[in-house]
Amino acid sequence: MAAFPTLRSLRSLRIAVSSLSCIAVTAVFIDIHHLIPFSLSSTIVALQFIPALLKSFSTIGVAITALFFVIVLTLLFGRVYCSHLCPLGTLQDIVIWLGKKKYTHRKFPYRKTNYRFFYSFTALVFIGLFAGNLILLNIFEPYSNFGRIISSLVRPLLILFNNAAVILLTASNTLGIARIPLTGPDVWNILAAIVFLAGIVGLSLWKGRLFCNLLCPVGGVLSLLSRISFYKIEIQNNACIDCGLCERVCRAQCIDSENHTVDAAACVGCFDCIGSCPEDGMGYAFRRRTSSTQKENPARRRVLLSLSSAMVASTGLSNAVDTSAAVAAYNAAKKQPIVPPGGIAREHFSQFCTACHLCVSACPTQVLQPSVIEYGFAGVFQPKMDYTVNYCNYDCVICGEICPTGAIHPLLPQEKKITQLGKVTFIKEDCIVETKKKDCGACDEHCPTKAVKMVPYGKLMLPQIENEYCVGCGACEHACPTTPRKAIYVTPNAIHATAKIRETKRLDPQNAIPQEFPF
Amino acid sequence: MDRRTFLKNGIGFSTLVGTGAVGVTALIPNSARALQSKSLTYDLVAVKGGEPDVMFTKGIEALGGIGKFVKKGQRVVVKPNIGWDVSPERAGNTNPKLVTEIIKQCYSAGAKEVLVFDNTCDNWTRCYKNSGIEAAVKLAGGKIVPGNTEGYYHPVSVQRGRNLKDAKVHELILESDVFINVPILKSHGGARLTMSMKNLMGIVWDRGTWHRNDLHQCIADFATYRKPDLNILDAYSVMKTNGPRGVSEEDVVTMKSLLISTDMVTIDAAGAKLFGIDPYDIRHIQLAEEQKVGTAALDQLSIKRISL
Repeated sequence: MAAFPTLRSLRSLRIAVSSLSCIAVTAVFIDIHHLIPFSLSSTIVALQFIPALLKSFSTIGVAITALFFVIVLTLLFGRVYCSHLCPLGTLQDIVIWLGKKKYTHRKFPYRKTNYRFFYSFTALVFIGLFAGNLILLNIFEPYSNFGRIISSLVRPLLILFNNAAVILLTASNTLGIARIPLTGPDVWNILAAIVFLAGIVGLSLWKGRLFCNLLCPVGGVLSLLSRISFYKIEIQNNACIDCGLCERVCRAQCIDSENHTVDAAACVGCFDCIGSCPEDGMGYAFRRRTSSTQKENPARRRVLLSLSSAMVASTGLSNAVDTSAAVAAYNAAKKQPIVPPGGIAREHFSQFCTACHLCVSACPTQVLQPSVIEYGFAGVFQPKMDYTVNYCNYDCVICGEICPTGAIHPLLPQEKKITQLGKVTFIKEDCIVETKKKDCGACDEHCPTKAVKMVPYGKLMLPQIENEYCVGCGACEHACPTTPRKAIYVTPNAIHATAKIRETKRLDPQNAIPQEFPF
Repeated sequence: MDRRTFLKNGIGFSTLVGTGAVGVTALIPNSARALQSKSLTYDLVAVKGGEPDVMFTKGIEALGGIGKFVKKGQRVVVKPNIGWDVSPERAGNTNPKLVTEIIKQCYSAGAKEVLVFDNTCDNWTRCYKNSGIEAAVKLAGGKIVPGNTEGYYHPVSVQRGRNLKDAKVHELILESDVFINVPILKSHGGARLTMSMKNLMGIVWDRGTWHRNDLHQCIADFATYRKPDLNILDAYSVMKTNGPRGVSEEDVVTMKSLLISTDMVTIDAAGAKLFGIDPYDIRHIQLAEEQKVGTAALDQLSIKRISL
């Protein structure tokens, strides 16, 4: 096959596409002033593989199209997704590029990819996924890790920078740019993001795209698909002068320049090798060639099987609710995470959320906060409603609109307004009206449905609960001024229920203009 | 007293943030504030039967025009109620038409700048937008300013407070020459009614403290801190039940009324009567009068009543 000099431009195309896609995804996560329309945000992340896969289980539409697109793309051109659309891939490429600038001698020589481990691990992750246990997926899924790095590390810094800039630039706050309260994330989420970031930076400086060919579940699936892809990079034997430059530039360690082979299943499609060849000897040809096949290893299979069944079992365990009678109802309620509206049920949410924290970034009230292990180990870092930070805005449906995995279903405003996330409990003995014999009413004031209503209590007014109207938004709990325990709090529904809409008496709206002033 | 507290706070605040501008604003002798309220023809103006902007125009004319309160080159802060993410029809927030008219008149009186904010209950960006007030402010050429983070609020002491001894107040209140308080009349689960004194909860940061320490007493206490230069009570659409947020438009009646006074106790007493509640049944009105914030004895005041 003849050389294709024009193929050299593929590298520039890759840099352009990956930069654009990585910047766009990053922008969605650091949009602290919510300037990007949510329809655009959800389009930007729509092509992310695992979210699209998960969302395809529950909805018909964009997600399946996106999934189909990525699969077809891979079947045609190999793992170009890994170098063009994966934000974590681009992050690694940036690290590799910076590393190469600093250490000019740096190269990642060919190494045989350990497909046995790679595919077994991928299989394990997917067994977990189909069994509804996302722990491995969430720890290694590239897009969600990228999301957590940006939202846990970059976003808070940007908020601090924004606030400092607003203070420094304006003597008084008339600039029209708001300061933003910094409400999270907690130390565990920050630590986890730091650990992952440090790991991925170290790994890419040391071994290029090793993560993508060892631990990445998306890489695993796409690697399998790329084995039968139509276009593959290969060394043209007639042109090769054995200079080894292609191997030297390869970040995926997939070019064996000595034996003139390119391992397409490990190639991430960066196209650097094509430009590196002084003889234009790298082809990107329409050709089918099977890679080395794996020998079966029954022992390994058994280990895998037991591991996966353990994981399936742990799903059930982690969802178990502490029923110990010794634990006060309040503390018990506080231990259970409250699933965002559209999350349907704790189980559904936990089985579909990859903890990318996009909803956390998009939530205008910041009531959505990353959890640690409130959903159990299987649901590590999945977002929950945190009523100490804020409460869920009655008319807001943004989290469902933006969720890329279908963990939070999009709700119409009228559906959202009757979606009951939990029910309230009122403890009169803790209420200001009872303890101080003074009026308060903060709960009633904030309640959007009047599930909390003030009723006469001697000369005072006392909250009264009607849970059939409660949506569990947490407004009453957030506003309740009692310490250390709130006198009114939400206990989550394991499965979201439907609230009733309060029938209000129609007041005569027109005859209210006073005939005479009553003073 | 008010003026001294204000000066002290202004200086304290300016040293705190290290900006001279605030101190300067507070130090310039403010003749307008010294003159006003003594030379007014009426203690209370009550208007009914018109659109919000028309009622305000007629009402303020009766008091001698907005020029009595706003002088050339002054910085004015207007504080409507923008507490809730609800549409104007729900009457959870001050009428946007009224806000526009007030700002326009401030500018026509020569105001240098007219600024608007509230420490909202619901998410602030949604409140500003969906209340229609952000658009109303921009329409009149004013500026709408955030009040969403603690950083905007600076500690002040409430020297005449019984339960409430200190609070954190929004810097615009500390910095501006003229403070116009524009509440809306609504039912309220905790405070019975929300009017001018209750509206001041939106210029402070920590409202939980108030709820913890006898809400009515704290409302009255804070009313002793700083007298607004003008109070305009919007009673065009009035939420009669389920306040202050309301459940639907069915909570709202059209009263087409407006009250204006420099005295918060007076205007709140009149507002209560308009709503149909005896002012003395509302403890914070009773307490505020007791603490000499103003007078609720409407029969002893000169009231201008205008029917359109």
